[in-house]
Amino acid sequence: MKRTVDVSIPVGPVHPCWKEPARVKCETKGEYVLSAEVELGYMKKGIERIMRGRPWQEVMFLAERVCGICSVIHNMVFIEALEAISSIPVPDRAALLRVVVNELDRMQSHILANFSYCYTIEHETLGMYLLDVREKVMDELERITGARVTCAYIVPGGVRFDLRAEDALHLRANLAAIEEEITRYMGMFENGPLIALRSREIGILTREAAQEACAVGPTARASGMPETDRRLRHPTYQKLGFTPVSREEGDNYARIMMRFQEVLQSIALIRMCLDSLPEGPIRGGGIPGAGEIAYSGEAPRGELSYFIKTDAAGRVLDIAIQTPSIMNIEACCHYMLKGVASLADVPSTFVSSDPCIACTER
Amino acid sequence: MSLLQRVKNFVRSKSIHVAYVDVGSCNGCDIEVLACLSPRYDIEQYGIYVHNNPREADILLVIGAFTPGWEEKLRSVWEKIPDPKAAIAIGNCPISGCVFNRPHSLIDPPVAKHIPISAQVPGCPPRPTEILSAVLAVAPVVFKDYEVKKR
Ligand code: SF4
Repeated sequence: MKRTVDVSIPVGPVHPCWKEPARVKCETKGEYVLSAEVELGYMKKGIERIMRGRPWQEVMFLAERVCGICSVIHNMVFIEALEAISSIPVPDRAALLRVVVNELDRMQSHILANFSYCYTIEHETLGMYLLDVREKVMDELERITGARVTCAYIVPGGVRFDLRAEDALHLRANLAAIEEEITRYMGMFENGPLIALRSREIGILTREAAQEACAVGPTARASGMPETDRRLRHPTYQKLGFTPVSREEGDNYARIMMRFQEVLQSIALIRMCLDSLPEGPIRGGGIPGAGEIAYSGEAPRGELSYFIKTDAAGRVLDIAIQTPSIMNIEACCHYMLKGVASLADVPSTFVSSDPCIACTER
Repeated sequence: MSLLQRVKNFVRSKSIHVAYVDVGSCNGCDIEVLACLSPRYDIEQYGIYVHNNPREADILLVIGAFTPGWEEKLRSVWEKIPDPKAAIAIGNCPISGCVFNRPHSLIDPPVAKHIPISAQVPGCPPRPTEILSAVLAVAPVVFKDYEVKKR
């Protein structure tokens, strides 16, 4: 069938709304978007090529720098894969502290994603409120790990620093404040009539389409696929009795609300960890040895998998990383953007799937 | 100094427009630049506006080690910025390539090879306050009496 295409409009790579360079080419008919194609390749650094043949002590820091926004989960998945290869035990206290830091990282990532969305639909006030809350989360990360971003907190057999009693108190107080504010902003987002105009029923990803595109993370869960959450298969989360949340609508609005809900869920998880934190060591022993494994974890954007092969000295012989954003970008371009009624909704729909170009291309 | 120059100096000291371009970072520095916008650091109280539009920018923040995809594009972004202009390198990546500057990587640091850089903020990533103070330190040096200096 012959298609009438008026213009092919490129959006990006340097675009006022995008944090990272990517180019979306839209074929439009009037304002109506017929199809979209994403063009990547501005951020390829070749991290996996650098990693091969290096000792794990170096690869650990490289793994963190695959993605700066969700650095903790890259750290965690890489180290847990090493532990699984050489059966290094982790003390209970350390396992719970890992969850605390990982959930704090997820909170700041989700809040940042929601800020980007609010900024893109020109609701700057709500965006600034969210950035302000995010600074509170960053404070807590810094108090516990010593750094705001790329903190290298998790090491084989445990974690680097203990959670002091006064830090735990501070964390609890701050969590209460964050919870109150996030609940308030959720209400603002839910009831804002202009926000609803820009977000409801725009960029719909149905459950079938999400399955077809293998969407992961909050994008999939907003389309009614709670089973995609890898935290369900993590032993520490299982002990905490974790159950994922999900929504049914699958539009921009649902994806943003989904992240808000997950922030609240993370707060509850951290509280649970703090309540059940046992006394004891935070770091056991163990030497990474030879073996190979495929290991996955749930990053803020979805499922993250590492395939690692090491030798007896702990050198990484082969490594492959699969990051979540590539699936979500695919879902976004081929399903959500198709049929978007106005070009103005293209950036906001793209941002609502929370693409992270740095980890997509590595 | 002419009156016109004085007016220009005054106006430029209160409205600095910033664009940022990511030429292959890990995102760590991006989010610290975004954190500068937050009410805690409040970049706008100094008269700095982040628009991310090169055509109306005065200062370009360059983030990331230089990847091959940007070979020609970074120069053209730089040329789109009207004079007077300055570029600041944020983080270790544009300065040295940070952890990525190893055998077999695809990057080509430093960014100073490709466009003129006026200031560097080391750190992996630097704190938002450091980014802020770098912008504030560079702006008067570049923009004050620009027309006089050019002559
Ligand atoms: S300097 Fe460090 S934090 Fe910044 S982009 Fe480079 S690796 Fe990431």
